[in-house]
Amino acid sequence: MATRAITCPFCALACDDLGAAEAGVDTRGCAKAAAGFARDAGRTEHRVRGKPVPLADAVAAAAALLSQARLPLITGAGADLAGIRALIALADRAGAVIDPWQSMVLRRNFAVTQESGALTATFGEVANRADAILLLGGDPAPDYPRVFERLVDNGTPLFRSTPPSLAYLGPAAAAPRRTMAAAIHLDSNRLLDGVAALHAALAGRLPRDADIAGVPAAAFVELGERLSAAHYGAILWDVRNLADDGKAVVATVLRILRHLNRRTRAVGLPLAGSDNALGFVQALLWQTGWPAQVSLAGGAPEHDPWRFDAARLIAAGEIDALLWVAGLSHSPPPATMAPTVALLAPDIALTGEAAVEIRVGVPGLDHPGTLVRADAVVALPLDAVRKTALPSVAAVAQAIVESLGARA
Amino acid sequence: MITRLAGGRIYDPEHGEQGVARDLYVSDGRIVAAPAGGKADHSYDLGGAIVMAGGIDIHSHLAGGKVNLSRLLMADDHRDELMERGALTRSGSGWTTPSSFATGYRYAAMGYTAAFEPAMVPSNARLAHLEMTDLPMVDKGVYLMLGNDELLLQMLAREAPQEQIDDYIAWMMRATAALGIKTVNPGGISAFKSNLRDLDITDTTHGVTPRRVVNALARAVYELGVPHPLHIHCNNLGLPGNIETTLATIAAAEGFPIHLTHAQFHSYGREGDRRFSSAAARLAEAVNRNPHVTLDVGQIMFGQTVTASGDTMAQYRNRAFASPDKWILMDIECDGGCGIVPFRYRDRQFVNALQWAIGLELFLLVEDPWRIFLTTDHPNGGPFPTYPHLLRLLMDRDFRDANFARLHPAAQKASILPTLKREYSLNEVAMMTRAAPARILGLADRGHLGVGAAADVAVYVEDADRERMFTTPKHVFKDGVEVAREGRILATPSGSTHIVRPEGDDAIEGPLRRFFADHMSVGLDHFRLAPAEIEGAGGHLITQACRPRRRA
Repeated sequence: MATRAITCPFCALACDDLGAAEAGVDTRGCAKAAAGFARDAGRTEHRVRGKPVPLADAVAAAAALLSQARLPLITGAGADLAGIRALIALADRAGAVIDPWQSMVLRRNFAVTQESGALTATFGEVANRADAILLLGGDPAPDYPRVFERLVDNGTPLFRSTPPSLAYLGPAAAAPRRTMAAAIHLDSNRLLDGVAALHAALAGRLPRDADIAGVPAAAFVELGERLSAAHYGAILWDVRNLADDGKAVVATVLRILRHLNRRTRAVGLPLAGSDNALGFVQALLWQTGWPAQVSLAGGAPEHDPWRFDAARLIAAGEIDALLWVAGLSHSPPPATMAPTVALLAPDIALTGEAAVEIRVGVPGLDHPGTLVRADAVVALPLDAVRKTALPSVAAVAQAIVESLGARA
Repeated sequence: MITRLAGGRIYDPEHGEQGVARDLYVSDGRIVAAPAGGKADHSYDLGGAIVMAGGIDIHSHLAGGKVNLSRLLMADDHRDELMERGALTRSGSGWTTPSSFATGYRYAAMGYTAAFEPAMVPSNARLAHLEMTDLPMVDKGVYLMLGNDELLLQMLAREAPQEQIDDYIAWMMRATAALGIKTVNPGGISAFKSNLRDLDITDTTHGVTPRRVVNALARAVYELGVPHPLHIHCNNLGLPGNIETTLATIAAAEGFPIHLTHAQFHSYGREGDRRFSSAAARLAEAVNRNPHVTLDVGQIMFGQTVTASGDTMAQYRNRAFASPDKWILMDIECDGGCGIVPFRYRDRQFVNALQWAIGLELFLLVEDPWRIFLTTDHPNGGPFPTYPHLLRLLMDRDFRDANFARLHPAAQKASILPTLKREYSLNEVAMMTRAAPARILGLADRGHLGVGAAADVAVYVEDADRERMFTTPKHVFKDGVEVAREGRILATPSGSTHIVRPEGDDAIEGPLRRFFADHMSVGLDHFRLAPAEIEGAGGHLITQACRPRRRA
């Protein structure tokens, strides 16, 4: 069998140049991809209260559990787009709250879009045009291993003649392991002060003798000049590198970008959405009109970032059933008093016992599918590279919907 | 099973029927000839109601990344407009950019059975198509945005032969499951990425003029025999004096068929004290004189909406008018862009009031209802549920004049609208919203009620209040199934996606593959959308025929 190019589902860069052959997958030197494609397929038994059962029985038990609940919650991460569409349909049918796990992290980006807007670009645009890139808050490479290869070191860009100059603003300990043309180090809890100072410097409002988190004003003025002088500047951040005030940081970055675009071009590139979280957000937006933290319990979709945050609902004990999805992620369901239906990839060990345990395939490994990339514009097709009999999240969610219909 | 729609009055311009009293028969989703003795298994008594083919919206931003971003931006709009799930229907939210299911239900409840997304960037094709599999009730399709894709601009700059352009367009349409080609501010979206802030049709950017882009694309679409002519959003959208650009765009096509979209936004002069005037008469005169030109209006409707456009250059300018004050701009994959700006159009505001009048002037001055289409550029001029109100403005002169009298006084002085006595007839409405869109899109079995046509049918109870009449049809049938009755949803079919698969020389794939490998962020094989991906997600594809006109 010849080698064919496949897409990697194991981070939101969705690199599509991996080589699949009889001998295995050439993961292009990416440790994350290598670990992902080597995931174990050992656990394949579906269980109800710990006892192995056929899939149909597990589906019926899940439907029974959801139909009896007053406030079920559907959350987790790592279904392909078909699986997510089916999960939202299930939430609509069951009157559940649905929320991508850790959506409060994504919210640092999308709350700013809701309130003020956005100024962004896709990978292809940054890779072909950006002549200056400011990395914010920390090294994106741990979460997105090939980010520099994809966006900075690409050999044949259309519009820039030399590699982009890189600058960094963030904690020294988390600085990218690259040579920076400029770097401002400050504690992560002072990042907001840093971007605010950069904005003030651009606007000519930063006092010359100011000291911001131990950094002299001149450094911010110089960084501002660097971005102003670029033809196409980009500010890149991994949303997980931002702290709890990340939303304010992103809002300030938007103001910086708006200022720069008066005279030149500049864009943001927020990196987020591994485990297809942005596929989740996109499908929620088109199916319900809301990005995350959506309740379908009242019949119509309601959005409330606090009330319908999955982690808060679980911690506060407000739900009486949990449907946990982990097709791409490695996470077993969080501890909860509520009876749990767990849709789990075959390598995830359950620490306790779930009321219903259904083993599902990993998209891109066990079955084909679609994955949305971190820029939320490009979706990539996923392939299957090994043979398992595991059902997809989509198949399981659809079967539960049908079972609920039969019960009604 | 044969269903009879008995006692209706048929408006079917494709067959010259204007209020013909006859029964209609439906079987297996198709219009069929009257069976012997008129025997049917099931019969609807229409009691003299008006029968038309289902409405077809030729230009409606209903899916894709920019629509989702609009939903995200317009949170208040979604909070204010909630739709509960029903026994058959999914829940939803939003008025200006409703969620996908709500979009389908609202179109169907209004008697529309097809709507076409006009601005899909190539790189977003997969996601847009998968989104549309969650848009039920109506047939749909997409126009692929080209003319700011760097590959085409490079080909034009190095004067590649037209055959290569044709091959490229054919390849791209097949790869993205498109029905038509649209160009948006040709060259301008790319130029904006290089920090150009305006671009007229004869300006050169990266070695190419918009004029050249328009000509090459219009010719390619014609030569490939794609039914729908090049769909053009001209340069200089919204700018006073842009009528010169619009007329120059017609000239640039050099006789190849073209469709000018949301022409209202491109029909502005710069006369008068306020340096903003109507040029509707000039455009209408040019359209009347050029039979190869069609247009849709892009009427503005007063109230809150959101504008979502590929035209980043124009939308960056328009940010100054954002209401509420927030906006989104995105540069996309060396093939396009996206700009989103909320707008509140007000009748007491001079420019908005005159825009409203300009749109209506176009409707009334363009003589041939086969060549003008009813659109609001949903949601950019206003959301599509305002169509019945717009129809009343066109069909009821007293109503129109009463609305005109509420406009900003200076706008009233600047418009000839009160002198236009024309009122659209039911027959003309059936042309403009059914027969003509089907014809211009190449949908042979839609937009009419002849034997063999798809049984997409809307039944309206005659009412002097045309807005009320067109808001809530008595019955709506999609492929022969009654899907809505007096606004209630009775069935939720998924609708089909119409595509074309024009033929080109596949040798183009070699250089394309190299371009993707060298510059693009996905490989060619993963850029290309397989029809099976749409079908596997629950979609149904209908391939419309192309009639190639080249290399005879």
